[in-house]
Amino acid sequence: MLDFKLTTPQREVRPSDEETYDLIILGGGPAGLTAAIYAGRARIHTLLLVGPLPGGQPANTDVVENFPGFPEGIEGPELAQRFVAQAERFGVQIVHDSVTGVDFSVRPFIVRTDSATYRAHTVIVAMGAVPRRLGVPGEDRFFGRGVSTCATCDGFFYRDKRVVVVGGGDSAIIEGLYLTRFAREVILVHRRDQLRATQIYQERAFANPKMRFVWDSVVEEILGEKTVTGVRVRNLKTGESSVIEADGVFIYIGMEPQTQIFAGQLELNERGYIVTDRYQRTSVPGVFAAGDIQDPRYRQLVVAAGTGAIAAMEVERFLEMYPQNHQ
Amino acid sequence: MPLLNEEIRQEVSRFLEDLPGPVRLVMFTQEFECEYCAETRQLVEEIADLSPRITAEIYDFQADRAKAEELGVDKIPAIAVIGAQDYGVRFYGIPSGYEFSSLLHTTRSVAAGKPDLSDATLKVLGGLTKPVHIQVFVTPTCPYCPQAVVLAHQMAIASPMVRADMVEAMEFPHLAYKYQVMGVPRTVINETVHIEGAAPESMVVAKLQEALKNN
Repeated sequence: MLDFKLTTPQREVRPSDEETYDLIILGGGPAGLTAAIYAGRARIHTLLLVGPLPGGQPANTDVVENFPGFPEGIEGPELAQRFVAQAERFGVQIVHDSVTGVDFSVRPFIVRTDSATYRAHTVIVAMGAVPRRLGVPGEDRFFGRGVSTCATCDGFFYRDKRVVVVGGGDSAIIEGLYLTRFAREVILVHRRDQLRATQIYQERAFANPKMRFVWDSVVEEILGEKTVTGVRVRNLKTGESSVIEADGVFIYIGMEPQTQIFAGQLELNERGYIVTDRYQRTSVPGVFAAGDIQDPRYRQLVVAAGTGAIAAMEVERFLEMYPQNHQ
Repeated sequence: MPLLNEEIRQEVSRFLEDLPGPVRLVMFTQEFECEYCAETRQLVEEIADLSPRITAEIYDFQADRAKAEELGVDKIPAIAVIGAQDYGVRFYGIPSGYEFSSLLHTTRSVAAGKPDLSDATLKVLGGLTKPVHIQVFVTPTCPYCPQAVVLAHQMAIASPMVRADMVEAMEFPHLAYKYQVMGVPRTVINETVHIEGAAPESMVVAKLQEALKNN
């Protein structure tokens, strides 16, 4: 069945690097787009830098079943597309560009991309999190060539093949189940003896005849000469090593925030997440953060959207209360 | 039965409003239409219906051999997106799913005849003396892929030395095999240099220069 997605902005915007924006939002996932919807409706002069994945993590998710208002569930990409369309409707300038550096020590703040430098009185940082890597031999060499973190992108290449999925949370199970549409067998390697995933996903995984489980085990190496031929795993209880033959490896061991460019400028916690208070304020007045980049605990779509709304409403207050910042 | 539903037709109409110049979607199929050839033909016809500045031209890959060779089209279904001139922008395989966005985005850029690239990139592309062929392998379900496709197409618009293809990996498994595509997007420059994932503009430029050094 064919479908057609229009995720690109309706109008390409040539943002001006001459003018100073009231607000620049970094990141076009649920948090950033919700912030954009609120900012647009508040008529705040806003620029949104979408980043590498328009719509954010939902764009990379098969089906979303826990976002209120969609009793049948909704395809992640469809939901992502709706977020983008809604933000556009309220007049926010959207640019498909990624931030490469910031300077929060000057006013107005400076935001740099590959091709331009922008200035803004306030910033909402909502760049989310990226899939964590295993950090084992073979992983970098085969990334994009047998090692993947995107089942919807790459599942097709594993038709009738054997794949290993690493992880035991919701993503590992959801994407593992998705891969059973293509693969002959999906072997899930998990470090514990039970899954962490939501019960309803566990039930589906155990009921699927193509899914097999290797418990108490970690992947220590991705094997292969020219292509992936398998993984070497170690059982944490027995200490024994063994090899699982496979043509591909999908890694779903959680996410981590990409906050390197904020180091030394915003307070980060020991795991690299941006520290925020209940008003989504960061350690720099005028800089707010929302979504997974500041949330190591819940990492839910609906929570990300909620914190995006809070951040935008706080931006509005900030701009009102600091008229000298708002020229 | 139309491919584009009413909702998306309206979005596309809005997107294509005030197109800055005329665009020809030159599509190649054949008498016994290949997998997705019929749908690709129908798609370009439906898009052409939504804008007075877009025309669909349908050719037969076998019967119109000369036309295919003139445009360098070597497989079908194929779409050449041609504006004031032929910039070397091609789509091989149906641009469905996320690639529909690539097709429309690229169509706007071709209509304008102006690439959306940084000055540094334009300078490098302006100085090219050897031909560059960029192939971007995609699947329609890959949200990261349009970024790589659109960037490659912008480079083709910027320089007469660059031609850029979207290649839908599922429809051309022999090419996916030849170029060892196991993940998308995968960009192949002049057969020699590969990029995994949607890379930033500056990195693609660096890889392009690397490819030219190898030649």
